[in-house]
Formats: sequence, C-alpha cells, structure tokens
Amino acid sequence: MGYEGKVPVNNDILTHHPDGQGEVMAHAVDACVHCGFCLPACPTYALLGDEMDSPRGRIVLMKEVLEGALPLYDAAPHLDRCLGCQACVTACPSGVPYGELITSFRGWSEPQRQRSPLDRAKRAAILKILPAPRVFSLAARVGQFAKPLAPLLPNALRSPLDLLPEHVPAMQPSAAFTPARGQRRGRVAFLVGCAQQALTPNFNAATLRVLARNGIEVVIPEGQGCCGAAALHTGARDEALKLVRANLAAFNPDDFDAILSNAAGCGAGLKEYPAILHGLPDEAQARAFAAKVQDISEYLGGLLEDGELEPVLPASRPLTVAYHDACHLAHAQGVRSAPRALLRAIPGVTVLEVPEGDLCCGSAGTYNLEQPELATQLGIRKAKNILSTQPDLIASGNIGCHTQIQSHARRQGSPVPVMHTIEVLDLAYRGEL
Amino acid sequence: MTSGKVAQPEKQALTPAVGTGLPRSKGGSLHPLAATLTRTLGPRKVLSNLSERLNYRYDAIAFGATPLAVVLPESTADVVAAVKAARAAGVPIVGRGAASGLSGGAAPTEPGLVISFTRMTRLEIDAARREARAQPGVITLAVTEAARPHGLIYPPDPASFRTSTIGGNLGENAGGPLCFKYGVTGDYVQGLEFVDAEGDVHTLTRDTYDLAGLLIGSEGTLGLITEATLRLTVPPRFTRTLMAHFAEVGACAEAVSAAIAAGAVPSKLEFMDRACTNAIEDYLHLGLPREAEALLLVDTDGDDLETVEEERALVEAACRNAGGTVRRAESDAEAAQLWQARRSVSPALGRIRPQRMNEDIVVPRSVLPEVVREIRALGDASGLHLVQFGHIGDGNLHPNILFDPRTESLEAVHELAHEVARVAIRHGGVLSGEHGIGSMKLAFMREAVDAETLAALWRVKHALDPQGALNPGKVLPPELA
Repeated sequence: MGYEGKVPVNNDILTHHPDGQGEVMAHAVDACVHCGFCLPACPTYALLGDEMDSPRGRIVLMKEVLEGALPLYDAAPHLDRCLGCQACVTACPSGVPYGELITSFRGWSEPQRQRSPLDRAKRAAILKILPAPRVFSLAARVGQFAKPLAPLLPNALRSPLDLLPEHVPAMQPSAAFTPARGQRRGRVAFLVGCAQQALTPNFNAATLRVLARNGIEVVIPEGQGCCGAAALHTGARDEALKLVRANLAAFNPDDFDAILSNAAGCGAGLKEYPAILHGLPDEAQARAFAAKVQDISEYLGGLLEDGELEPVLPASRPLTVAYHDACHLAHAQGVRSAPRALLRAIPGVTVLEVPEGDLCCGSAGTYNLEQPELATQLGIRKAKNILSTQPDLIASGNIGCHTQIQSHARRQGSPVPVMHTIEVLDLAYRGEL
Repeated sequence: MTSGKVAQPEKQALTPAVGTGLPRSKGGSLHPLAATLTRTLGPRKVLSNLSERLNYRYDAIAFGATPLAVVLPESTADVVAAVKAARAAGVPIVGRGAASGLSGGAAPTEPGLVISFTRMTRLEIDAARREARAQPGVITLAVTEAARPHGLIYPPDPASFRTSTIGGNLGENAGGPLCFKYGVTGDYVQGLEFVDAEGDVHTLTRDTYDLAGLLIGSEGTLGLITEATLRLTVPPRFTRTLMAHFAEVGACAEAVSAAIAAGAVPSKLEFMDRACTNAIEDYLHLGLPREAEALLLVDTDGDDLETVEEERALVEAACRNAGGTVRRAESDAEAAQLWQARRSVSPALGRIRPQRMNEDIVVPRSVLPEVVREIRALGDASGLHLVQFGHIGDGNLHPNILFDPRTESLEAVHELAHEVARVAIRHGGVLSGEHGIGSMKLAFMREAVDAETLAALWRVKHALDPQGALNPGKVLPPELA
C-alpha cells in the first residue's frame, strides 16, 4: 500500500468513506484502467460471459455502490459470485490490488445486507465451525454418517457433505515445540490452521517432520487461532479483527526467522493483515508480522535455492506429479516456482502442468458452500483438466483445493492420490515415495 | 531462441460460455424497450437492471452513456430481433465485443441499446480451405488455438488478443505486432455476414463492390457483423527474437529504417520508450534495461532458418550502427516473456498516471526518426507526461499523454494531443493505424480528412444507415450544415 498521501482521481469513494478501509478501496478502484485484461483470467466470466461477473465489471459496480449511485442489493449477486481467487491480480498490468478491494468491500457491505434467516444461520454456522478444529472434527465425523443421505437433502446441506472424505481421521494435536534434527539452522513459528487439523492431520505432521529434518525448530505459539480469512472474505469484519488481533498477540515476529503456514488460504490471509488494519493503531505491528509470513513451500524453496535443503531420497519409480496452483498461493502470494522446484528436487519426479492451470478449482474458502452451483462447475472442470495429464499423483498446497479436487476426481472415477506438496516431500525423505 | 518453433502462446484463451439460470440482481424500473426485448428474446438474453447496464457503458479508454437495455444475442436471428425492437423504439444501437478497444468505439454517446456479442462464440475450422468461420464473440486468440492442431494460425494479434473478440477486431480493423509482415484484421477477411440498420441480413464476399471492406473498421456505424470467414495461414517454421536498447528514441527509429532499407522483413518490430519499459518492469520484473531511452523488440521468421538468422543479423547490425545494445532471446520462454511484456505496455501505463489520452498515428517509415524526436520534444516542452510506444516497423506509433485531471489541465492535454496529431498529418501520416477513430480522435478528423472526402463518407453513412441509428457520434465528425 504505497499510496499514503495520494488522492484518488477516478472516484469519489473517500468522500463517502473517509476511513482506512475507504482508502484501501478508493486506491484499488483508482488503479483500474478498465483495459479488460482481467476478463479471460476470471472463472465467473469464463462460466457466465457477462461483464457484471468479471473483475472489471465488479470494480465498476463496487465504485458505483460506494459512491451511492447504485443500491447494494442491485450489485450484490455479482459481487457475491466473486471467488476472491485473485487470478485477475496476476493478469492485471496496472497493479490493481483487487483482493484488498473485494475484502474491504465485503467487510463494509455485509452489515447492511438483508439476508434470509436460513442464510444467516448457515453463514453463522460456517464461521463458528470452521475456525474451531474440535467442533469441525466432530461435525465432520457426524457428517460422514449422513453422507449417504446427501442426495435427499437441500442444496445448502448437501454441498458440505459432498466435500467430506469417506473417512474422517481422528484429531492429532501437534506438539507445541518440535526440535531440529541434527544441527539447528533456524527457528520458525507455525500456524496450524483449522479445517486441515480435522480433515488432513498429516499435512501438519509432515510439515513438522520435514522442517525438523532440515534443522529447523518449530514453535506452535499458544493463543494462536484461525487466521481470520474465512470471516474476512465473507464480510464478517468484526469477527475477523478479533482473530487477527489474537494472532498478532500470539506471534512475536522478532522471535522467529519466519512465520509459516502450509495452507495457501491462511498464508494469504496472514499477509493481508496490514490491509485489514490499515489506518488503525496496530497497523505497524501487522506490517512487522506480515513481513515474516511465508508459505511452507516458499520457505523450503528458499533453502533449496541456497543449496541448503537436505537431500531427498529418490522416488521408488518414475513418478509424474500434476501440480495444482492454489489461487491463494499462485495469485495472492505469487508463489509458483518454489513448490514445483521442491517436487522436482525429488529424483524420479516429473512435474506436469495442468491445462487452464490459472483457473480456480471452485473451492475458494467458503465459496463451495455459498455458491455450490458455480463451485461444482469449476470443480468438474478442474478435475478434468488435471486428470487429462494422466498423473500418478496430484499435489497442491491448500486444504480447500485438496478436498475439492479429491471429491471431484473421485466422482469422475479416478483413484489418483491427492496430496499436499509437503506430504510428497515427507514421503520422499522417508524413502516411501 | 534455441528451438525452431514459433513461440506458443503461454496461456490458453478462455472462451466464455453461455450464462446459467443464476439469480439476477433486482432493481430499477424496466424501460419499455427492455420489456419488449425480454418478451421477444426471453429474460436470459436481455439485461435491464441498473447494475447490469452500468457495466455496458465503457471500453478500455472511455466511459459513455448508460444503455437503456443490453442484449446478449446467441444467434443472428437474435440480433435481427434486437435491431428491429430498437428501431421501433427509435433508440440508437451500439455493438460491443469484449470492450477492450482503445478509441471509445463501444462506449455509447447516448442512451440506447447495446448489443454485446460475447455469447456468439461458434467457431469452425475448415482446414482444407484454410478458413475459419467465426461468430463475432469468438476470442481472437481462440481462432489460432483452434487452427493450430491443423497446422494453421490466424496472424492478427492485437495486444488484447486474450480478451478481444473477432467482432471487435473487425469493427476497429485491429492490428498487432505481426501486422507489419502479415497484415491487419481486414486482410484476413474472405467474407462477412451482417445485419443492416433495418434488421435485414446480408452475406458478403470480397468481389463485386467490396462492401465487406467498407464494414471492416466502420465501428458498427454501418451494420452489425454477425459472422466472418477468416483466412488462415501456415505458421513459419522458425522464429528468432532479439531485443535492442538505445540511449535516444530517434536512434531506435533510425535503426528500424536502416534495417528495413537493408532488406530485412521482420515479422514484428516493436518500440517502447523508457517510461513504458519502467511501467512494465514494475509489473513483470523481467530485468529489462530501465535506463534505456528506447527499447526495440524484433522477431524475424520464415521457413528457412538461414534466411531467418540472416535477417536477424541485418537488424542486429542496424541496431549496433545506430548505437544500440543488442541481446538475443535464448529460449522460447524468454521470447514469450518479452512479448508478454510488450502486450502489457498499454494498461501498465496506468501505474504512472490514472488517466490518459492515447493516439494511434501512422507515419511513413522514412520520417520515423524525425517524428519520434518531434513528439518527444513536444512532450518535454509541455511539462506533461508523454510516452511513446508502438508498431514502429509500419510507422504505427502510440503516443500517450498520461495525466491527473485534478492537477493537470485538460485543455493542455488536448492541445498536446492535437499537436501530436498535427505532427503525423504534417509528415503525410494518418490518425489511426489499428484502434479506430471512435470518439477519441473525432476532434482531429477535420484536419486529417478534407471536407469533400468527409462529405462523401457521410453519403455512404446515409446510404447504409439513413436514420443514423448505428453507433452515432463515432468515426465521422458531425456534418457541417
């Protein structure tokens, strides 16, 4: 946000919203030159083919609403369909921080929305259950038994059940401290995430093993919680602020070389803290915090680049791995080459590129719960594209993509294993790949 | 470049599909035209809410009047129905593709009906005839992607080719880097189907009166193109890419003139000045020379590797003689990155100033050095932020004035734009090479085209669109009484 002191030119948003969030939105709108380069990058434009469901169209709609020229209810259906995947940010030559814009806009607009009681209850339930791994685990295990009933249920209840794996594992809480193996070369803090603790506990276990193997000691600071991204991206700003501040209190960036996340959505959320707190007293603290945040693949990729990554054992046979770019890793954090380089560092592994690789899988946080129809179309398309490469293995770096891809690949009859990049690396270190 | 293939586009073009029955926004009272259209065409093809209409009033350079209704036709018959309804209601009709145009061509000058062709995306390749039949909503790049498995390509490559549509390209007669060697959109048209101002459908070939030629570049002011038969070509077997940079813009233009005079026929010859290079670097971080005053990107191509490399050597020598520093692209990936950089120039300029006035002049190659120097000097003297880039091989330059309307005078911006247009006219040039006239360059038309010729063009307009219903306020300045 290098715009302090600059006055926006193409909009009047600051007049109507003279605060930190107004500033974030005004400057994002100002940066848009409406060239349309974002259109072919946008999943909803690809599906719907109309301007309102494109990033450029949405920027115009948000501007009109913020300036009071368009009622919120008129623009809302189109803004709600935005996945927040930020593929448009990658495609944008003029540097529009679209992610910050839509996040801030949702935070501002949500309290004014008139939603049905059922809708309200559903959203509240999502935001209660998702950040609480124990509750989530319980819900998931109950849901597991309800799965056969899914076809009989209304859409709102069916979509979360469809995404549940056949087997929900038991929770495995991670140790608060994992010592380095061998010579200690670094010290990091780790954000354990929410849904993945319940659904895929091996993501965290593998992360800790690989870091320790590389001489990195890992601290899981007490008092940490949900990163707040789910709340923030659905407009529950007050809820999000509580979570953000709890994490700022739990993690002292000066104590660590890096603050790591192994969920692309969470890592991107942590990196958003300065924008969320823009204009508030703890903005500087958020900046210091965000400067230390890295995705696990970004951090290990750094070690690899410096020639400091512990050598990995070769795969037992030549293995093709289709790597899926999580939007919140590739588009929101710009991390593309590191995970590929890590996979390629395993002798015997060939990384396959997925057609339409920049297009979101439809998971997008809570999107597959809120917009199941579009999410399903994108999920089917993603699974088809991935499977077209005929991989031995599918790797990605985000729990949301993981469940979405797994669920759609299975429905298309494919048994190909779906893993987190770190799990592939972990298996290779153990000689089990 | 190490391998001999033409650089593949690094990403695929996504063709938008037809919309679903998702919830629509609610709001605004229905205009009678929207009500009629909804009855005739069904609600899925008609947009009437304010949020929807607000999104169909702009292109990539200008905002226009909010339309009364928008139709998203799926067939020629839908277009006919829409035109007839608009005519009955007595409102103007503006055709629209992806609205990535840079002349204001698709931004309505008054409230009316916008017909957006983005859902007419049928595309058929006839490999034996080396032809593509495309509806107007087909994405430009999608034609080449569909043709490539048959060993064919569609050369016109406007910078926005992932976004832009064939219909929009026809409307503005779009060019692109490849047009120096391979020609512009109009050079690839074998035939057209169009709907006239009365709603009648016609099929045109290029023999008899070349009415198709007249429609190409007419920006929807003479008729609405509903299908095009496009010529496909066999791609060259080899492509070589180089980049050269110069300490002065005129030296770059001298290198271009000298290379062409020496017999080189590069497929692309693209120039950008220092400000452009820096805006691109801020976006893509490719390590381009930020200090150079001018950057030249060149492709040579052909089926004979020796000739292709000879041509590249000719360009290299011309660049060095003009004081340039030359670097060859070492891989397809590097070449693809350089061309992505070039395509991103125009929107990346938004990083420098939020608004701009862009030009599209074409001047004879022989006067290029003087022209770029004169324009540079005008910019320096004005105190405004003027940058230049463009398809320098065919003398097509895009001087852009970047400005902040709150701190810089609009009159000064217009005056500078006018001065730049005068430089082109004085050197025997024209105002538009590929963007079209739209609304952005209307003000200079009376100087660029003499009164008798304008009167003749108006007679053509009246013959094809007697009521003046088709995209009013574009291409031709108002008739003098």
